Order: sequence, then C-alpha cells, then structure tokens
Amino acid sequence: MLDSAMAALASLADPSLLIMLLIGTVAGLIMGLIPGLGGTGAVAILLPITFGMEPPQALALLIGALAVVHTSDTVSAVLLGAPGSASASVTMLDGYAMAKKGQAARALTLAFLSSMAGGIIGAVGLTLAIPLARPLVLSFASPELFMLTVLGVSLAAVLSRGNIIKGVSAGLLGLILGMVGTSPTTAEERFTFGSLFLGDGLSLVAVALGIFGLAEIASRASQRRGEKQTISLGGGWGQGIREWLTHWTQVIRGALIGIWAGVLPGVGATAGTWMAYGQAVATAKDKRQFGKGDPRGIVGPESANNSVEAGDLIPTLLFGIPGGVPSAMLLGMLLTYGIQPGPSIITEHLDLMYLIVWSFAIASILGALLCFLSVKQLAKLTKVPFAVLAAGLVAIMLLGSFQEGGQLGDLWIMIILGVFGWLLKSTGFPRAPFLIGFVLAIPLERYYFLTDSLYEGFDWMARPGVMVFLAILILPMIWALIKFIRARRHTNLDDGHRDEQPEDDEAPLKNSTWSLTASGIFFIAFAAALISSASFSPEARLVPQLVSTGGLIFSSILLFIEIRRRLRDRTPKADETLAGEAEGILGTQPVKAGWTLDAKFALKTFLWMTGFLALTAAFGYLIAVTIFIPAFLLIVARARLKVAIIYTGVLYIVLLALPSLLPIDLPQGWLNTLV
Amino acid sequence: MTVLVAYASAPEGREALTEGIKEAHRRKSDLLIVNIGRGHHDLETQELQELEGQLTEAGLALTIESSILADPGDAVIQIAQDRGVEVIVIGLRHRSMVGKLILGSTVQRILLDATCPVLAVRADKL
Repeated sequence: MLDSAMAALASLADPSLLIMLLIGTVAGLIMGLIPGLGGTGAVAILLPITFGMEPPQALALLIGALAVVHTSDTVSAVLLGAPGSASASVTMLDGYAMAKKGQAARALTLAFLSSMAGGIIGAVGLTLAIPLARPLVLSFASPELFMLTVLGVSLAAVLSRGNIIKGVSAGLLGLILGMVGTSPTTAEERFTFGSLFLGDGLSLVAVALGIFGLAEIASRASQRRGEKQTISLGGGWGQGIREWLTHWTQVIRGALIGIWAGVLPGVGATAGTWMAYGQAVATAKDKRQFGKGDPRGIVGPESANNSVEAGDLIPTLLFGIPGGVPSAMLLGMLLTYGIQPGPSIITEHLDLMYLIVWSFAIASILGALLCFLSVKQLAKLTKVPFAVLAAGLVAIMLLGSFQEGGQLGDLWIMIILGVFGWLLKSTGFPRAPFLIGFVLAIPLERYYFLTDSLYEGFDWMARPGVMVFLAILILPMIWALIKFIRARRHTNLDDGHRDEQPEDDEAPLKNSTWSLTASGIFFIAFAAALISSASFSPEARLVPQLVSTGGLIFSSILLFIEIRRRLRDRTPKADETLAGEAEGILGTQPVKAGWTLDAKFALKTFLWMTGFLALTAAFGYLIAVTIFIPAFLLIVARARLKVAIIYTGVLYIVLLALPSLLPIDLPQGWLNTLV
Repeated sequence: MTVLVAYASAPEGREALTEGIKEAHRRKSDLLIVNIGRGHHDLETQELQELEGQLTEAGLALTIESSILADPGDAVIQIAQDRGVEVIVIGLRHRSMVGKLILGSTVQRILLDATCPVLAVRADKL
C-alpha cells in the first residue's frame, strides 16, 4: 500500500503530469471566480479537453481544478459580497463584514489557508479510506453493487436540499434519461425514436453543462454586477496567519464535517459548508461577532468546502456511487476509460487512486499559493460583470459539449436541458440527483441483470451486505417521514440544531405556475417513457418500466400537491388582500411569480443561445462566434464597443489556434459543407 | 435593560410571550421579540400593534429582531449577548428521553449556553 502511494508520488515527477496539474489548478482557480460555475462547471468544461489524454494526465488536470475551485471562490465573496459559488456564500457572512471594516486581507488570508488545510485533510481522509474500505469493497459481488447504485440515486434524492418527492422525481427522470440509447443487456435501442444519433445515448458533458452550466448562466445573466463598489484589500495579512494558527481546531473540525458531507451522496459543498458554520457558531461561547466578522466563521466553512470535494471522491472511487455532481462526472470519465470504480479500481488501478490523492493535496497547496500571489489581479477579475463573462462561457460550453460526439445534436440537447435545468433550479427541484441518476442508469441496469442471472429469484436479497444496504436505504426515508409529520404538527420547534441554509433563496419561482409546469413535464415524461417502453423486449423493458412507474407515482403526488395549492389559493379571495398586506408589513412578501422579470430574462438568454447554435449550424462555429459575441456584449451586457471588439478578437484568435494546440474540433456549419 | 422573548407560533411560544410581557412590566424593561419559528409564522400585525400600544403606555419599547444564524438557539443567544439582555424567556414542553436523544433540544441548548438568566415556562401545565 505504501509503496504504491510512493510510486504514485514518483510518477507525479513526470513533467507531463505536473504541467497538467498546474494547468488544472490555474483553470480551477479562474473558474472558482466565475459565479455559478463551481466544481461542476469546472469539471464539465475541462472534461472535453481530456478526451484525447491518458487517464493519469486527465485525472491530474481534473483533480487539480476540482481541488482549488473552492479556494478562489472566496475572493468575490469577501471583496464584493457576491459569492463565486453557493458554498462561498457562507464565507460571505463574516468575510464580507470583515472586508467592510478594511480587513479584507485578513479575511482572505484566513480563507486561503483554511482552504489549503481543508484540501490536505481531505486528501488524508481519502488516503485513510482506501485501506479501511478495501476488505469491504473486495467482498462485494453484483447484488451489493446493484444495491449501491440504487443507494446512490436514492440517497442523493433524499439528502438533497428541499422536497424529497421532488428529489426522487428528479433522480428517476435522470435514470430514464440515462437509459436513452442502447440497452446494456439486449443491445436494442431504447427511447431513440429511430434516431441514429440518440443510439449512443446522451453525452454526459452535454447533459451536465446544460442542466448546470447553461441554467446557471441564464439565471444569473441578468445580474449586471459591477455597480457594487469593490473594497480595497487593506491590511491584516500577519493577523490573519496568527488567527488561523490559533483556530487550528476549527480548521480540523470544519474539514472533518466537510469530508462527512462529501461522503453522503447529494450532500454537497453548499450543505457541508453551512453545517461547518453552524458547528462553529454552536461551539463558540461568545457568539456576538458571528455575521459581523468573526474569524471562526471563515475558518471552519472554508476548510469544509475544500474537503467536501475530497470526501465526494471516497464513495465515488471506492463504491462507484458519486458523492456529488463533479464526482459523478469524474465517474463518467473513468467509465469511458474502461476503469470501473469499486472493487476493480482497488485491485487493478491502485496507482490511479494514489495519484488522485497526491494531485488533490499538491493542488490544494499550489492553489493557496497562487491565490496569495495573484490576489490583486483576482480582485480585478471579480469586477467583470457576469453578462460579459456569460458571452464567452456560452461559446466555450457549446464548444465543449461538441467534443464528445462531434455532433450538433448534442448541442441542441444541451440547450433544451439548459431550459429544463433552469426550470428545476428556479422551482426548487434539486439537480444533483438528476445527474447522479443519469450517470448511474447503465451500471444499475447491468448489475441488476448480473444479479438476476446469478441468483435464484430473490435469494440475493438475503445476502448480509444487501440487507445492510436495504437498511441504509430505508432508514433515511423513515427519518424524513418522521420529520415531515413533526413539521406538519408544528411539534418540531424544539428539535435541536438546525444547520440548513436559509430556504427559498434559490428557488424564486416555487409554488407558481412554473412549478406546476415542471411537475407536469415530469408526469408527461414518465408517462411517455412507460408507454414507449411497452414495445421493448421483456429484458430491456423491465428496468425502464419500474423506474417510470415509480416516477409516475411520485410526479402525480407532486402534481396533486401543486394543484391543491392552487385551488386553495384561489378560494379565499376575500382574505387574500388582507393577508397580503399584513405579510407585506412584516417584510415577507408572498410568492407571486407569474411572468417575472428574471424568468423573462432567463428565457431571453436561452433564445440568444439558440440563435448562436442556429448560426453555428448554418455558418460554422467561428463565424457564429464573431456574430454572437459582439451582439451579446453590446445588447445584453451593454459593454462598450471597444471592449466588445477586443473581446471578440481575442476569443477568435484563441479559438483559431485551439485545434492545433489541443485535440479539439470546431463545429462546421451547413455552409462549410457546401464550400 | 431588555427582556428577550423567544417567540414561535406554538403553545410554547405563546406561553413565553405572555410571561415575557409580565416580566417586562415587572422589571420595567423593554421587550425584545426574536422569532424562532420555522418558516415565517411571525406575530400578526394587529396583535403586534396592540402589544406595542400596551407597552408604550407603560413607557416601554418593543423591538423585533432577527439573526442571520440559522439555528434558533444560536440566534437567541447571539442577540441576547449582543444586546446585553437582562433575561431570556423561553417556553418549553415535555420531551421524552428518546425525543431528546434523537432530536436534540433547542431549549436545552439555550439553557446551557446562555450567558444571562433564563426564564423557562412550561406550556403543557398539569
């Protein structure tokens, strides 16, 4: 074990690996600065670049980025009060308060150092998990592996923030989407509607970039930041280092909470960071300074959000169930290389495991160092309005998802899923179970049929491992049910610690026509899947039918709840105005979202994306970029003409040079085929 | 000086409020209400106005405050420490052993962590 760890370290001396790690780290730092991208965006954008690489190089690049995304996302949270990722909003509470007092440097020092420590502790946790889990993992056979995939999807659905029914529906729909293409058992085409292009299944990059990337851009493009004044860095570097050293217990505690949050599927960086913050507050005797610039409010959460990404990797690599969205994509990548996480990675690819560990640790240190060195430049970067960044991001994301299959169809799917992802995000559906379901769909089915062919009837259910997993599967559901009942009866006032982040801040269109539409879409999709799966052969039909039946049940509950709420809202017309007034005075506006400004803007952004894609299809990518970028910058972002020209010029040159530097193809248009 | 009432729209919260108002009159202190209920079940506007009138008559002030902290126990203690509150008034009811073991108890945490006197009133009296 130790020698493979050392061998992995020695292999990192290979310059090609080191360069990839460095590139990954720098890319991760930059993407951490861009709001809304986070680890998911970083992996999704970098994934297409790795398609032509060897597994070690690809892993070094991706892990390098993943390890440091949460190091740099603090910068804009502290300096602007606008967090680069959802998890950095915790750091904003105390970091921004500290910065307003002219101590931004102190806050950043605390944050960078804690991020570094969190990353290292996370890597140590990952290392320790390998020998601990090894005997367990090696005892797994297909029934256990099947249960693990089921567990992966359902835990993600149950533990994700928000409504469990919404989570389960999203997870099941992800499974259905993952089954599009060739069935793993009978090699017949499913849900392809006769299309050859859908026969390969949907591209992971296109799905991830659509559901998360484009959706994020659309919901944020309306923010023309930059009116906000930036705070100068101020002093306090030395003070920050000293305080960080005195709060070392908080660093370790935060990191451990982060690892735990990472191990649980569906509990991502955001929830883990809030847990760490809650823990820091709860254990502090003097709570006065929290929210006003308490160093403990920065140290714990910052350490946690880096270690979450390492914790995520533990179940991903050892059990093959992704702990979070970025690691779900990493899992997808490993599967394309033919590396099966779970038992086989421990026996055959142990060197890769340790390579990941070392890359994570080194990238954490490198990331913090780079942040310290370039903090002034980073601070300038945070001033760029999001709409200006969005133009380039759309171009890059579309190019990225083109790489996997080299087909324009992937891009259309990506935009459609982008609209869907935006709808999910704004109506309070968790998106993590959706993507985890998408990735696990094929392994789930394959393990099920292996189990079914190796065991008589339900004999496999009696295996001790399977029973343990069944218990793990059922307990959280019972727990959630108890909590739900207590909440209904209002007897949960005294239920102890609440770490959850403030609710509803991310779902502005909850309980509106929009969420009714979303539930409707779910219902129709499941119904359609059920109907069209009737024509498959019995073997290919079983799993899709089970999933879509389950989906139908859950989505009809959703529809029922939505419709009942609407009916209830409609009847007491007379009281409504009174209640509305009363609530208005108390500062809690009732949710009345129809065609809101944000929704209009988001849909307009999607129209822009569609326009861009149409241009690409007609004239090719390069011409589309030269038209789309300046138009978007001038009309939507309202940038100056000079900025637009330089921006477009630079991007054009980079894109022109890119295919010769990296294995990347630019989409050709209909016009190019004529010439 | 101030009396802090941890309010929620439940029997415990109502009990704490009644006792808190008495306490404010007794001590001739201002009243500070912290809403700790899940969701936004705050006091009705009408009731608040009545209460404010009643307190102003006695020459006392009414404030409502909230905290950025998600945990109600932490929020109450933070505000109490920040304002230098004289006494915290909380309502409680019977908790079974298992209930306390599995679900924890906000009241217990306020009692143990508070740096000022705490007045606890039972909502489910005999």
